[in-house]
Formats: sequence, structure tokens, C-alpha cells
Amino acid sequence: MAGSFMRRIAVFMADVTLTVDGKKLTVPAGTLLIEACKSTGIEVPSFCYYPGLSLQGACRMCLVEIEKMPKLQTACTTPVAEGMVATTESDKIKQARKSMIEMLLANHPLDCPVCDAGGECELQDMTFKYGAAESKFMDMKNHRDEQQWSPVVYFDRPRCILCYRCVRVCGEGMDVWALGVQNRGSGSIIAPNKEDHLECEECGMCIDICPVGALTSGAYRYKTRPWEMKHVGTVCTHCGDGCKTTLGVRRADTGMQIVRGDNRDKSGINGDFLCIKGRYAFDFANNPERLQQPLIKRDGKFVPSTWEQAFDLIASKFQEVLASHGPSSIGVVGSNHTSNEENYLLQKFARLVLGTNNIDHHRTADFPALASALAGKKDATASMRDVFNAPAILLIGNNPTEQHPLLAWQIRSNVRLHRAKLYIANSSPIKLRRQATAFVQIAPGSEGAFVQFLTANDAAADAVASPQLTREALSQMRDALKSESGLVIIFGSELRGSDVTALVNYGLSLGAKFICLGDYANSRGAADMGLYPDMLPGYAPVSSATRFHEHWLDEVPTAPGLNLLQLVDAAKAGNLKALYVVGSNPVARYNIDPFVLSKTFVIVQDMFLTETAASADVVLPVANAYEKGGTYTNTCGDVQMLKKAGEFSGVRNDFECIVRIAAGMGCDVHKLVPFGGGGTRADMGQSRGAQSGESDQHAVWLADHNLEPKMSPYDPVAMLDEIQRLVPGYDISRLGLLSGHDEHTQLVQITGATGMGHPELVMPANDKLFTSGTLGRFSATLNTVMERYRTMPEDVEIAAGYDPMVRE
Amino acid sequence: MGIVKNIAAIAKGMSVTFMEMFKPTIVENYPDGPGPTRGAMFQDRFRGMHVLQRDENGLEKCVACFLCAAACPSNCIYIEAAENTETHRVSGAERYAKVYNIDYNRCIFCGYCVEACPTDAITHGHGFELATYNASSLVYRKEQLLAGTPAHEGANAIFSQYENARLIPKK
Repeated sequence: MAGSFMRRIAVFMADVTLTVDGKKLTVPAGTLLIEACKSTGIEVPSFCYYPGLSLQGACRMCLVEIEKMPKLQTACTTPVAEGMVATTESDKIKQARKSMIEMLLANHPLDCPVCDAGGECELQDMTFKYGAAESKFMDMKNHRDEQQWSPVVYFDRPRCILCYRCVRVCGEGMDVWALGVQNRGSGSIIAPNKEDHLECEECGMCIDICPVGALTSGAYRYKTRPWEMKHVGTVCTHCGDGCKTTLGVRRADTGMQIVRGDNRDKSGINGDFLCIKGRYAFDFANNPERLQQPLIKRDGKFVPSTWEQAFDLIASKFQEVLASHGPSSIGVVGSNHTSNEENYLLQKFARLVLGTNNIDHHRTADFPALASALAGKKDATASMRDVFNAPAILLIGNNPTEQHPLLAWQIRSNVRLHRAKLYIANSSPIKLRRQATAFVQIAPGSEGAFVQFLTANDAAADAVASPQLTREALSQMRDALKSESGLVIIFGSELRGSDVTALVNYGLSLGAKFICLGDYANSRGAADMGLYPDMLPGYAPVSSATRFHEHWLDEVPTAPGLNLLQLVDAAKAGNLKALYVVGSNPVARYNIDPFVLSKTFVIVQDMFLTETAASADVVLPVANAYEKGGTYTNTCGDVQMLKKAGEFSGVRNDFECIVRIAAGMGCDVHKLVPFGGGGTRADMGQSRGAQSGESDQHAVWLADHNLEPKMSPYDPVAMLDEIQRLVPGYDISRLGLLSGHDEHTQLVQITGATGMGHPELVMPANDKLFTSGTLGRFSATLNTVMERYRTMPEDVEIAAGYDPMVRE
Repeated sequence: MGIVKNIAAIAKGMSVTFMEMFKPTIVENYPDGPGPTRGAMFQDRFRGMHVLQRDENGLEKCVACFLCAAACPSNCIYIEAAENTETHRVSGAERYAKVYNIDYNRCIFCGYCVEACPTDAITHGHGFELATYNASSLVYRKEQLLAGTPAHEGANAIFSQYENARLIPKK
């Protein structure tokens, strides 16, 4: 973080050459000595220094010798200078560091065996390295009992080494300022700013950043030790930001149990950041209410069945309905939490096997409108990384602090470290306004009018007007925006349809890039993969012939199908004979009376007996995103790989269920999934092409990309092959994906703008910091935290810097 | 002289033999001997089935630090930790082992776990009759491994009572 800041400074400042441990190196002027050492592979130990946070110089561990300076210097606060000669390891330095550790250990309890940080403690490592294990003090250690500051934060004061990392990350990084330092000098202690407890976003950043076990997590408390776990870096399955979370898994009776979430692996787009959901809300996976067996409803009661019975029943029922009522009497509802491969497979199954376009999902943003407004323009969307580096940002609508915590972190860090300009137009005083260069509080629902105003339509100013807003502020913002280059425009679901088109036209004239904010982990993926009744993957209209009609070698129905609300109406009228719901809960989300579905044969694939599942005829227990492979596309369009972390006995993944149902219906599985043998001979097309002039294009594509045909019909990567081959924008680096990078996709519509979806169907999830739709309801930690804030006394005086908007 | 010397040597040797003839003929009368070990005798250092020790209050010494499991070369120790509460106190520290299993299918009795234990909770006992026809019964649970409650039985309960009275504020 500081590195890129320094790089930016370097544009204006020349490089300097210095010598460290006899090595000559050249770094930009202004670089800190500790960073310069790091860049050449020399590790200078430190507790208080943390890249991207303000400098503290408290721990004195990074002491180095610099020629012509009388005493040892702290490398973390010393900027490099031309001709500087530094030594990082010598007897004198070793002695100094050893003494520092001795001082730190003076009152640090030796309870490593029962400390949650034992095994991954920086103080432990340093003590091993510098060998200050024996104490020279005779006095009793000054013990203090452990305190619980919040449901997830525990503080053990004697363990604290006063590096102030937690105070700085909470204040500077999170802009929450819940932690502070009490007293002075040797009496200093870290303490919450609210007497004995924290009032904060419960992000757990202070725990993660603590070099020792002073701050420990309530969710991971005493569960296991670090070396007992396997650590799997995967993508968080809550909001649409796509943070990388490292899950610690351990064997248990139910399979591999996830016992911890953190961001050990800082290579993700989130860097150091994780919010409460990524860190603690993995625990829905361990909820005892999880289904472990398929359920079939007989005489109004669920009876556990075998998987074979369930698949046979579903397949035969689909065939029966198809024969008696035709494809239009079947509906399919997809999910925002299933992987791209599963979404793609689901719509392909609906269109090719069921022969219907009646497929939809819970839409949380108008991605089709953005796709058609961009009209194929390349490099017009911003990635999550761009938000951290952009010189200017315009945010219209949404409240990223609550709904997109990573986006908010990126914006805050960008403003703090790069002095980026932030312009905000919102109908409520969202917390990010504290970082804003300019903030206008517009009238509720007038986001569209605000865009009109930006496009030099002065008449729109009246619609935008609110008591908190002056005409001058509006005009000033418009004028300021005109001169911004490299602008990133971020908009929430308040803007839809023609408003998006207007905004895009305005932004493109400034050379801006766009981010459209969807609410769930794979909302963007579900949209890109064509879970729409009128659109195929890549936002291609179903009515016109596209590459999908050509490549699927089958009749794709060309009439648009029914959307979710029309499906409900059809069920009411008795015209919907079967409904296939994958990982979604429309009954609760759209407030549907379960009685409506009583005449429909409902199949639900879910983890829990949700409201929708309760009214189903067959329920299949499936794995969640932490328990399978695949890819997710975050709301900016960054694709990342999911890695299987947990395992839960009795469940299968959605991909396998869909393939098995298709196979049960007598469908040739090769048509659905391009796996080895049969449909995808890697023969470069000779066997078919020589005679018929038609080659096996998939095999040719695989060979061209150095990929092997996949040998299992249940391998989602086989589907990824097809997605990368056919869906525009997804021609990204496979190597990058496999090595855990995020790959930005282009948002490209296959043919020109014909329709723009149905903006009225967009329904934002309105999740708060501590809620996450149906998933959140089954997370014990989120529930405990919410319970606590519900029971907190109302009359707490609000501290300076504390913003009531954070929580409601 | 040579003959006398030889006879003396033989007589000395035979005297040992004859003396031994009147002693019991077996070294250890296992399994028909007296006592709980049924005649089996052990060196103190013999590494038999593990015993999880208790402290002077009858509380478990194990604090579930997982160091024995980490030291174990055959990976046969499985632990789940839990937190002591004021009303349910199992060990002297703030955490205890809720589950402590040793899989004697895998254990090689190397004693590394005993070396690793920071609280001297796990020790090798002298139990050796582990043979069974059923491999699954070789996974020993904490209840099977724990040392018996000490003579002043019920100390645990009394200790907790005292603790509770001290810690819970009177209403």
C-alpha cells in the first residue's frame, strides 16, 4: 500500500542510491528504509510498523546502524537518502533487539500453550530468533483478567506490547475510531473509546493485525491451534465485493469443518481488509440445521430419501410435465450465490433440456442496462483494484460502508494514501462523506435527476433539491467533475435503465470507468451467465440468432420466457406445473404466499429448509460456495476461483445435481457439459471435419489454449472452458485464475442494444453490515452481534467521530 | 591343583543351580499373579497406556494446548478445546479438553507427547493390555484415559462451589 504511494511520489522525485548490508540498491526518494530493505529481500523486524498505516516508531525493533549517525536508527521512520550506508545485522543491533524483547517480555505472560496466537505470534518468532527467553526480573508479573469487548473481540492486557497497530487500523483504516490509548508512558494501555466495550463495525481488523495474542477472536476462541488447520484461500460468499478469505479447516465428524476465517493470504483484491462477514460469517456452514439428506414430501410431510430416489422422481416429473403441458409450464429460478459454472449450466439446462426461457434470478442491479449502454466499448469498467488507484471517484447512491465494505475500504485508503478526490451524491448522509471532497445530499429517489443535472440539464436541479443542498454545491460538483481525468464512477441500484444510459454517456465523454453495485457474491456472475428470461449469457437477446444457437447445436427457444414475478402469477393461475429453484429463496424475498405454489411441483436445492424449501416437493441438500470449486464474478467484473475448503457429509454440489437430473431425463450429458470422450474428441476435428467440413470447435479451442479435455461430467472446470470460449469478456488468463489472481472481465454485450431487461424488477437486497440475506440468518456470529446491538441502550452518548449511520 | 580348582569351580556353579532349583520357576507369574497388574512387573520408565493426570484439587491438568498432538509422530491424538465457565470448571486454566482421543491403532508409545506437555498432564501409565478384536475400540476417549478422582473425592465440586461464591457477584 505504502509502496504504491511511494511509487506515485516517485513520479515527482528522483531515485536515490544507497547501500544496505553491502548491497547497492536504487529506490525512489522518500521510500522508508524498512521498505527499501524489504524490496531487496532483507527483512528488518518490526512490531509497530505496518505498511499503509501512519508511522509510530514505538517498538524499536527495526533499529539499524547507519553510517555517520551516532546512535541506532529506526528503519521504519527513516527515509532513504543519497549515499546512505546502512547495516541491518550486527552484534550491536542484535543486542539492542534482544534487550527490546526482554523489555516486552517483562510483563508478557508465558501462556503460549493456551494463547490463541501461539504458533503465529510475531513476538514468539522474534524471541526464537533473538533468544531472550529467560527473564531477569524477580517481581511478580502484573496480571489483569481478560476482557470481552464485543461478541467477537477479546482483550488480554498483559499480552499487549503496545504497538498501536490496532488503534491505527481501526481509526485510519476503518475510520471507526473505536480504540484508543489510555494513560501515558509506561502506564499506557489500549482501551475502547466506549468505557468497557467496542461500538464498531466488528470487522476484526484489530485482531488480525495484532502481532501477539492480546486481541483474540471470540469466534475462533480455543477452537484449535494454527498448525492443526489447513488454510484454503477462497472467495467470500457474502456481498458482491469478492474479498479473498482464508479459511482454516479441520477434520470433524461431519467432514472438514471450517473453524476460522481470516486474511492470512493478502494477495487478494482486499489486501489487508476483511469485514465481519468474510471473517466470521462462514459459520452458516456449520449450522446444525443444515440438511444432510434429500427430502421428498409425502402426504404433506418431508420424508428422507436416497439421492437416487430424489433424482428419479425429479427427472420423471419433469418429463411428465413436458409431455402433458409443454416447456412453458416449467420455471427455473437461479441464485446469486452459486458459481458461474453452475449458473451457466442451469440456464443451458433450462434452455436445452427443458426447452424453456422461463428462467430468472433475484436481480439486485441493472447490469444489462450498463452492458447495453457501454455498447461493446472496451476497458470501460473499473476493477476493485482501480478503486484504490483512481485519481478521482464519483459515487452515486448506495452506502458502501454497509453494503460494500471492501469498496468503502478501497475508497478510504485511496483518499488517505493517494489523496484521491471523492465526489458523493446520496440521499442520506452516508459515512463515506467524511472522506469526500464534495458531498451533495440529494432528495430521495432523485439519483436519475442528478445524472440529468450532470449532463448539463439545469432543469433537473429542481428534482434533486433537498433541504440539505444548495444550488451552488451542485453546480460546483458538476464543474469540478468536468476537469477530472481517470474518473471511476460507482453507482448503486438506485440508477436503472435509461438513467444508466445517461450516466454512461456522460462518463464516457470524460473517459471514466464504471462500477455497477450488485448485492450478492455472484450477482454479476448470475447476470453475465444469462439467468434472464430474455437474455442469454453475455446479455445476448434470446430472440436473435447468436453464437449460442450455433454452438449448442440445438433449438434454443427464441421467445422470451417469464420473469420471476410472472412465474408467480403463472403459479397462481395454475399454469406453472413445475418450478426448479436452485439456491434461492423467492418465497421469503418476494413475500409469496406459499399456498400459491401448492399446485406446482417445486424442487429446491438449498442448504437449509428455507421458506421456499418448506413449500417444496423435493429438497436436495447442497454444498455452499466454501465447499466447492468454480468461479465467482464480483460486482466490478473481477473473476476469481473458488477453492474447496470445507466438506459437509451428505451434501452434493449444485453442478452435480443439475447434471444428474439432466441425465435422468435421458439427455446426452455431453450436450450440456463439454467433457472428454464423445462430444469433445481432441482430434482437431478430423473425424467430423474432414467429411462434413465442421470441426469440433471446443476441442480446437482447448488445444489452442493448452488445455486438456476434462474427463468428468461433474467437473465445473469443463463448464468454465465453455464459458471462456463463448461468453464475451471471459477470455481471461486461466493461469492467473488458477494461481489465485483476480482477472477483470470486459462487460460486452454480444449484439447491439435491443432491450434493457426490466429495470422495475431490480430489487436491492438492502443488506446491512451484519446481515446477509438467508445466509446471514444461519450465521451464529452475525446473529450474536446483531442481538448485542439490538439490546444496547439507546441513550448512549454518541462519541465524536462515531456515526449513527453505521448501524441502524 | 588344577583338578581341585576345577572341582571348586563346578561346585560353586552347581550350588547356584541347586539353590535356584528350590526357588519358584517363573520370573513373573503373569497373568496369575496377585494384585491389579496380575503379577506383571514394570520398570518405572515403562511407557504404557497414557494417563491424563489431575492436579491437587482434582481438576484436570490438561489445558488443551494441542502440543501433544503437534509432537505426535503418528498423528494419533485428537483434541477439541472448550472454555471453563464459572459453573462448569474442568481444568485449572481457562480452557480444557472437551474431547481427548488417543488412537492406539496408531500410537507408537514414543513418549513425545509426554515430553511436549507443558502442564505434565499426559503421562505414560503402565497399562499394556490393549489387545482387542475390534480396532474401533482402540480409540480411547478422555474418560478412559483420565486418572481416577483423588482420595478426597468431590473436591472438584467443592472447588467450583468456592470459585462460584467468589466470582459471581451477590445480587
